[in-house]
Amino acid sequence: MLEALERSSAGVATAVRQLTFPVEIEQVFREFRCAEMATLAKDGTPLAWPVVGFYRPERGCFVTTTSIALPQKAYNIRRDGKVSLLYSDPTASGLVQAPIVLVQGDATVSRDVLTWNDDLRDLVATLAVRQPSSNDNSKGRFMQWLMDWYYMRLVISVVPRRVRYWADGDFTRPAREIEVFHVG
Amino acid sequence: MWAEIVKKAATFESGVLSGIDAEGYPCSVRCAPVPDDGAQILRCEVSVGIELRPGPASLLCHSHNEQLWDLRSLNVRGTLERDAQGWFLRPTAIIPEMAATNPIGMIRAVVQLRRTAANYLKKRNLPAPAIPWKELVAAKEEAIARGRAAASSSRSGNRSIGGLR
Repeated sequence: MLEALERSSAGVATAVRQLTFPVEIEQVFREFRCAEMATLAKDGTPLAWPVVGFYRPERGCFVTTTSIALPQKAYNIRRDGKVSLLYSDPTASGLVQAPIVLVQGDATVSRDVLTWNDDLRDLVATLAVRQPSSNDNSKGRFMQWLMDWYYMRLVISVVPRRVRYWADGDFTRPAREIEVFHVG
Repeated sequence: MWAEIVKKAATFESGVLSGIDAEGYPCSVRCAPVPDDGAQILRCEVSVGIELRPGPASLLCHSHNEQLWDLRSLNVRGTLERDAQGWFLRPTAIIPEMAATNPIGMIRAVVQLRRTAANYLKKRNLPAPAIPWKELVAAKEEAIARGRAAASSSRSGNRSIGGLR
């Protein structure tokens, strides 16, 4: 049976809950180019957008970011932090018959507008390779002026509370649940 | 609106239906929506074991190519309902997409995005933050070089775990 463990760091007063998932699930989190992130609009409608997400097991969460030019999902999360991340499109991941994974959890958004930190460095580096056309955004002074809004970002952290998956990406079969233990 | 939804949805193999579960969390599933022209609804088969509640919902269809480009999407708001045949979405609105298909559209989109970003800062009385272009460009170049080295290594027979990358 697939199982996820959420561990607390031994000996640390403010325990960081680390995440561990089976290898094939972690591959999905790392290799899928995007996930569909659903947040709750003001009227309660769940609205999904494709996002580039990062699996941060050592921090016990998933991280994504959004430009302040596209702040709607951040506004939604500030109103209600309930979100879901669906990893359902394996295009370009290199994975064959990968599972589809649904993560539901609680999100928070950074208050500050950030232009550089470890998460943003990873975003920039990842997109440089996975989305080569985005490299034009920073080439030359004109493009840097035109596209500066793209690099003014809010960081969104999602702590998972429920994770389910469909083996082999087969939605005709029932979803299986991966237990997330809350320790400490 | 209905004709536009049907026309655009037909260009995608599947979509992501998002509803609410019993605990109030968004819950998304991938499905192949089937239009019912008479009722102007999209029928969606929802996987066994997924507990959606009737109510507000949306359908996102999107795609990208191997280079994470040629981005296309359709996002439809509506209500999730159920009858004897199963779940369906009754569309109420199409959410406008930012993707531009021509240079004029691209300029309009960027102008709009710049305006939204400026308003975000203005409302909070924040100065425009400086972008660390030097670090940013260096991080990109380093990642690209690393990617090339990894590809070269892979071609020479050193594969990553499972050979999946």
